[in-house]
Amino acid sequence: MIKIAVYGKGGIGKSTTVSNIAAALADRGLRVMQIGCDPKADSTNSLHGQAAIPTILDLIRQKGDAFSLKDMTVKGYKGVVCVEAGGPAPGMGCAGRGIIAALEKLKEKGAYDIYKPDIVMYDVLGDVVCGGFSMPMRKGYADAVFIITSGENMAIHAAANIAMALENFKDRGYARLAGIILNSRNVKHEEEKVLELASDIHSAVIGSLSRSTVVQEAEELHKTVIEAYPASSMAEEYRILAAAIYKEAQKRR
Amino acid sequence: MLTRIGKAVDMQGAAVKIKEAVYPNPFESGLEYTPPARGTWNIVHTNMLVPESHQVYICAAGCLRGVVLTAAEMGAMDRFSSILVEEHNLMDGSMENLIIDGVGDILDRLPRRPKVMFIYPACIHRFMGCDMSAVYVQLQRRYPDIGFGECYMDPIMRKSGLTAEARTRWQLYHFLTPQEHDWKSVNIIGNNLPTSEDSELVRLIKDNGFILRDLTLCRTYEEYLEMGKSAVNISYNPQMIYGGQQMEKSLGQKNIYIPLSFDCLEIRNELYQLADFLGVQHLDYSPNMLQCERSLAKAKDVIGDTAIALDYAVTFRPFSLARLLLDHGFNVTRMYVDTIPSEDKADFEYLQQCYPNLMLYATVHAKMRVMDRHTTEPLLAIGQKAAYFTGTRHFVDIAECGGFYGFTGISHMAARMVEAFLEEKDARDYIQIKGWRCRTCR
Repeated sequence: MIKIAVYGKGGIGKSTTVSNIAAALADRGLRVMQIGCDPKADSTNSLHGQAAIPTILDLIRQKGDAFSLKDMTVKGYKGVVCVEAGGPAPGMGCAGRGIIAALEKLKEKGAYDIYKPDIVMYDVLGDVVCGGFSMPMRKGYADAVFIITSGENMAIHAAANIAMALENFKDRGYARLAGIILNSRNVKHEEEKVLELASDIHSAVIGSLSRSTVVQEAEELHKTVIEAYPASSMAEEYRILAAAIYKEAQKRR
Repeated sequence: MLTRIGKAVDMQGAAVKIKEAVYPNPFESGLEYTPPARGTWNIVHTNMLVPESHQVYICAAGCLRGVVLTAAEMGAMDRFSSILVEEHNLMDGSMENLIIDGVGDILDRLPRRPKVMFIYPACIHRFMGCDMSAVYVQLQRRYPDIGFGECYMDPIMRKSGLTAEARTRWQLYHFLTPQEHDWKSVNIIGNNLPTSEDSELVRLIKDNGFILRDLTLCRTYEEYLEMGKSAVNISYNPQMIYGGQQMEKSLGQKNIYIPLSFDCLEIRNELYQLADFLGVQHLDYSPNMLQCERSLAKAKDVIGDTAIALDYAVTFRPFSLARLLLDHGFNVTRMYVDTIPSEDKADFEYLQQCYPNLMLYATVHAKMRVMDRHTTEPLLAIGQKAAYFTGTRHFVDIAECGGFYGFTGISHMAARMVEAFLEEKDARDYIQIKGWRCRTCR
């Protein structure tokens, strides 16, 4: 089983990218599990096509421990197992603690043993704002971390923070940084800035995605680009990126 | 001094007739009260059983009072340390390093290096998701000559999943290493007290030429390590079931769980099961069973119809004990139990059918603090909590099963009941002492 975590600044396109990678890998016949670690709980929307699915934290709040693994998961495109950790009520509670509770519950209910996915992908909010958000990096969770960024300064700043967190944890046997993904916003000197970031954090850009209206069009259909526009050049970009991620993650298994 | 205001508190929610009680939790969980009957062992007492071990507790200063006082009462402050958590440890992400560095400081200051360190994080570590696995890896890397035990001072693990107690019981034996097994030696595992020498369990082991090893009898770390040689682990504490299974996996020691019981046929079956397991002959236990009947009849002659109350801390099988006494004509009127153990389910159901008016009282329900709970009728209590709640001066001072097992266990219990019935004692003098019969730190 390969386990990866994808981090990046909020709004940078993590969920869209991760869902398209999931769909591309599912097309290749792999068993895929995608776990959204974001209080918005919308990581997997384009895979299952629903407005919302029950989150683990909602289940814990409503039922204590009286729920099954099936209650926590929804099957999406080509059998991708979709999970949403969920979060606290806005303005209250602790989102990091929520991720800890959700991931522990997923493990406790035997998600990895029962579904036996070939690849698990954690789609994680933001720039490691607290210990809870580093949970997917821990030993036993992801083996490799990928950071998505554009050339925008805030996105680069967040990417550098994530890389710093990984560096802080290097003695603990946590996941290692496996590469940078450039999600283009067509800003000035974008490629150079992201290459400079990669160099600064001793990593490499393992793939890049063009800015394309096809992505938004697919989202309006509540689908991934892979499903909605499989013949598009954007779908091909996602397939190439999926192959690169899979290859890098396999090296670090 | 606090003075109660308002009306007397009723028993609703804190007491129920057994016929109306729901298995396994007859009382609602909520605000809890801890009665000052201190004989039951706590996490400090139990882990001190491992010779040459040292305990490290990590929490905010005020939170550590209970364990500090226990260690002090035991005269074991030289085997106890603490690491204080401060607010900045939460904010700067240094919690894991605080523990690792704190253990280092402790080791630097100890006059003698311990063989084992039991590390007790608290609920704050759980809430903030402290990576304890990484902590243990680092500690083991830095101090390879010391064994580190994963323990818990965590009330939120008390009632759900694999309990902190079950995990900790297993950790007590975590430092044993796989060895060539001696097929003529066995361990009794999971208890705080040694099983009495005259019990049929110990006799079955020793009279058939087996060496018996038991953590409660180990005085040196070398003796403790020798437990790894035994080919078989025998347990009768339900909290050790998980640990026994884990030891079978990690050490290859055969595991047998023989539940403690107060039913003569059940006891005989357990002993036969063990005999088959060890490959020894079945004994004729008819005389032992007859002796039990005689002991109980003698006790009944003395105690007569005096009301009896018993509590859960007396034994792992309080409902089995109540059934034995009621079926032998004793007037058991009250049980102080918060939950019904799974081992006791059949006995609980039997009592519901045959003695439906038997009263069950919670011990931790908040109302037990203020409810009018003393009885004016003469009453014999079995156990410290029963003595405290009823206010009687006639009680069997016992906790942690008292080392009783089998037919002799029943006879010993009957004899203690007679003694308690005939002799008055002041409960306060006895029950305020923590860790009943804890000899570990002498």
